[in-house]
Amino acid sequence: MKSDRHSSNSNEKVHIFGIRHHGSGSARSLCQALEQLQPDVILIEAPPEAQTLLPFVMREEMQPPIAILIYEERSPENSVYYPFAIFSPEWQAIRYGLEREIPLKFMDLPQAHRLAFKKEEQEQEEPKVNPESVETASETSSQDDIQPNPETPPELNPEPDLRLYRQDPLGWLAEAAGFSDGERWWEYMVEHRRDSHELFAAILEAMTALREELDADEDFVESPADRLLEQQREAHMRQTIRTALNEGKERIAVVCGAWHTPALVNLPPAKNDAAILKGLPKVKVEATWIPWTYGRLAIASGYGAGIVSPGWYDHLWHNFQYSSSQVAIRWITRVARLLRTKDIDASSASVIEAVRLAEALSAMRDRPLAGLPELNEAIQSVLCFGDPLPMQLIHKELIVGDRMGKVPDDTPMVPLQQDLIRQQKRLRLKPDTKTLELDLRKANDLERSHLLYRLALLNIPWGRTQYSTSKGTFKEPWQLEWEPEFAVRLVEAGVWGQTIIEAATAFTRNQANEAKDLPTLTKLVDKVLLANLGDAASYLMVRLQAEAAIAADISHLMQAVPPLANLLRYGNVRQIDTNIVAQVMDGLITRICVGLPVACASLNDEAAAAMYELAIAVNRAILLLQNSEYAEAWHGVLSQLADQSGLHGLLAGCCCRLLLDAGIFTANDVETRMGLFLSLANEPSQAAAWVEGLLKGSGLVLLHDDRLWQVLDNWVTKLSTDTFDLVLPLLRRTFATFPAPERRQMGERVKRNQSNQIAVSSDSNFSNLDIERADAILPAIAQLLGINNASRSC
Amino acid sequence: MSAEKPAKTSKTDKTKIDNTEVATTVSTLLREHAENQFAEELAELAKIDTKQRPPNWKLSPWAVSTYLLGGKLDNGFEVSPKYIGNKRIIEIAIATLTTDRALLLFGVPGTAKSWVSEHLAAAISGDSTLLIQGTAGTSEEAIRYGWNYARLLADGPSMAALVASPMMRAMADGKIARVEELTRIPSEVQDTLITILSEKTLPIPELNSEVQSTRGFNVIATANNRDRGVNELSSALKRRFNTVILPVPDSADEEVDIVQRRVESLGRALELPAEPPALEEVRRIVTIFRELRNGVTSDGKTKLKSPSSTLSTAEAISVVNSGLALAAHFGDGYLRAGDVASSLIGAVIKDPVQDQLVWKEYLETVVKERDNWKDLYRACREVD
Repeated sequence: MKSDRHSSNSNEKVHIFGIRHHGSGSARSLCQALEQLQPDVILIEAPPEAQTLLPFVMREEMQPPIAILIYEERSPENSVYYPFAIFSPEWQAIRYGLEREIPLKFMDLPQAHRLAFKKEEQEQEEPKVNPESVETASETSSQDDIQPNPETPPELNPEPDLRLYRQDPLGWLAEAAGFSDGERWWEYMVEHRRDSHELFAAILEAMTALREELDADEDFVESPADRLLEQQREAHMRQTIRTALNEGKERIAVVCGAWHTPALVNLPPAKNDAAILKGLPKVKVEATWIPWTYGRLAIASGYGAGIVSPGWYDHLWHNFQYSSSQVAIRWITRVARLLRTKDIDASSASVIEAVRLAEALSAMRDRPLAGLPELNEAIQSVLCFGDPLPMQLIHKELIVGDRMGKVPDDTPMVPLQQDLIRQQKRLRLKPDTKTLELDLRKANDLERSHLLYRLALLNIPWGRTQYSTSKGTFKEPWQLEWEPEFAVRLVEAGVWGQTIIEAATAFTRNQANEAKDLPTLTKLVDKVLLANLGDAASYLMVRLQAEAAIAADISHLMQAVPPLANLLRYGNVRQIDTNIVAQVMDGLITRICVGLPVACASLNDEAAAAMYELAIAVNRAILLLQNSEYAEAWHGVLSQLADQSGLHGLLAGCCCRLLLDAGIFTANDVETRMGLFLSLANEPSQAAAWVEGLLKGSGLVLLHDDRLWQVLDNWVTKLSTDTFDLVLPLLRRTFATFPAPERRQMGERVKRNQSNQIAVSSDSNFSNLDIERADAILPAIAQLLGINNASRSC
Repeated sequence: MSAEKPAKTSKTDKTKIDNTEVATTVSTLLREHAENQFAEELAELAKIDTKQRPPNWKLSPWAVSTYLLGGKLDNGFEVSPKYIGNKRIIEIAIATLTTDRALLLFGVPGTAKSWVSEHLAAAISGDSTLLIQGTAGTSEEAIRYGWNYARLLADGPSMAALVASPMMRAMADGKIARVEELTRIPSEVQDTLITILSEKTLPIPELNSEVQSTRGFNVIATANNRDRGVNELSSALKRRFNTVILPVPDSADEEVDIVQRRVESLGRALELPAEPPALEEVRRIVTIFRELRNGVTSDGKTKLKSPSSTLSTAEAISVVNSGLALAAHFGDGYLRAGDVASSLIGAVIKDPVQDQLVWKEYLETVVKERDNWKDLYRACREVD
């Protein structure tokens, strides 16, 4: 009996407002309609789990754009966002309700169920290939909720997908009415019918017709899962309305996406809906507010239900009191001001012309108002002189906008998040976008650096170092860019620990355990030490030690040396305990020295070149460490290598050079080996490689040592024409690496040698000189040289 | 130049007066003005066009855009498309002309700038002949007015001794004046346009008089991207133009369509006794042009060097056309690879050293490898 009364009276008591998600026009109309209705309860299409978050809305620190984040407690990556901008109708409805202390209810199907569906689906999809599961994921996301799936590329189908009718039915109506822009259409409608209540009735009617049409249309096939989900959602909404009716509310305002309105008008018997909602799977979920950005609201960041131009909507929302032509003028003025800040000329006259062109364009297209497309075209043609480049700037800065929201500090958060906020406060690092230069000698800056590196370890790349840092420098430049989705990553990382340091340590240890080879570990070592995670570092050293012991590849060991050496040498700036590092280093050097001769045997050109680089790097590291034990072992193995037969010429030459530089070999030693290697019995290409190994980088040694020069000179001059052609490119390659002055000096030296020979040969002609005639010019020369006295005495 | 112009216009004026007799004389012309060639379309459009027309316009903006973009009228009459491409660009251009701002069409050579400007003028004013060709030698007289010196000496300065420029006549009659290759005109001469465009008046200090423009007057200028910096517009002048950049065709299909259409209509005009070219042959030429222009093969897999030539759609049209002429007069009437080869190479190789290399490379790496392109490869090798 009770339900009978409802169905007869529900039409008068229930007022349904079909809105456009993130539509500024809808929001304004909704505010007016609510003011008119004075409801005693407001039902909003949003997940009921977020109901507890409502008290935060009225806080002053709360600044949209923000989003409700709902995630499964046990696997936070299974999550969903509900973003709100200041111009979102839902946001305005919530604020309206809270300001007047009207009860608010979220009426959508609880995310506890929907996330459970998603989980089931993912479990089923798992064996399938990846792209398909992405597609189904975007299918199940409807209207206002989106999956945190930033990898999915934005797809803008030129063909209107039928699914889009459901996502933005009002946008399509606007297009049918000849508008380029759904919000402008709404404005136009509202301006002409001051009564917004009537407008919502019209929308309801239009949607009823649309849904009937689509139901009848055979081409419009939804997947059964989608249809079922929609039925469940609408059933839950109806149930919520029924509850409100049972509570005896008289004026119930229902705010939902326009698409759902027809389903909520008539309330079928409650037991049908109860049957639909019975026995749904459930997971435990948590909800919280997170800051959002306009960039994320935009479709280009990869979610299906976004809006293309949040900045433009924001403009519409804030300028609603002006007439529509004023809105266009104000917009173009803002564009002109932006262009001026970027040193692009934009005169007031141009602004006037742009407005006129936009109006002419919309008139030509039979549109009553200039929408964003017309404005853009006019701006490009008048203000940008047809150039599309400034348009990108306008798009980024104005049409999308860079506004970022804020939430109060005490919004419910996982402990990890709270810890981060504590640290941010302590270190005075706000979550925003800027560049930062840290001075690592200052305690505060050092800690900031540690925090950023720790977050990076947890896959939260808030800051990026501007160029790869070497630890010798105490300045560290960072580019900070906070992304809203970091909030989710923080929640995900929450499983590793309660504080940032704990989580980072645990996470790294886990990674170290999973690391299969030495290079991965070495890279990790670098990061861990930068993040100053002492525990993780010592654990890593143990792992490194263990992994090094079984590493078969000497080159991996050699790769590990330079970063560790850097650390040992310059570690003190970062106050790192270097003892453990030294221990690992001992092991590494020993193993390298033992294994190197074998590793260098019979290498081809490519492998030899790689080994050459490594040898040079290790040598530099050892020089850096200034540890006599290491140096002795290293030089020992190099001497052994230099005489190893069958060694690639490049490496043999390199060993000689390194030993010569270290003062172990004398020029004599090198000369002997050079002569040996350059003797004609050796393959010319190998000989050239040897020269390359010896001289690569700098040829000074040649300039200073006549004997080496002579050996090389002899070798080159003795080469036959054919073999000379063969080795010329190799030699050229070597000599090209020398600095220009060295090359010049060498050239001069070669020339001098030749001219010496000429001088000697011309000596014999000297006797033929006519001395008397020569004498005649001597006074003149003497005068020129200013040595008159000398000539007299002569 | 100014002496030549009036003679030319008087002739066209005459042709317009006795429109009925023209039919016979028209066919002797090598190329007709747009307003004559498409007179029927313009008349049909005018008949059904009930929308509001800006003062002195022959058609409403809607009808002008239909004339350019083509379409079927309500009475079933088919209007052929003159410009194939982005509708928005044409709309911006027309909307610009409805305001009193001048229009600057900008683009690489061969992107139909002059073509669009001619048709716009024909549709809006019914007269595309008020044309100033910009060259390095264009003088101020060509833009403002000159003098009939015999008259000037005999009677002194008077309106009768004045020789009006196309610009001046357009102002007096409220028509569209066209300036071709604006950036080729020396900067100091360009600036003559500033007063005309902003104050819509052309002072004649010698007579202490002026010509004020009638409503409907406007200017369409074209300029070349490649000439950027030759005679860059002063910012004062630039500000008086709305700039529309005409792009090279977006997709290969669009470009094939353009070439196909133009070749057919040109072939008809030139009465070439050849079959219209097979779509495949046109597609092949367009593909070569696009690939070389973009510096990458159409499958996006191989990078190519680009030659110094612009390789515009207009050039593709002329390649097909000269191929057709070859086929008609020296071949069997069908367009074959051999007929296009020489003009194709001529279009690509503009710099005898650099482009030669680019073309050789393209020929050996791309053309040779393609299955159905063997005939073209052989033909091109032969020409070399």
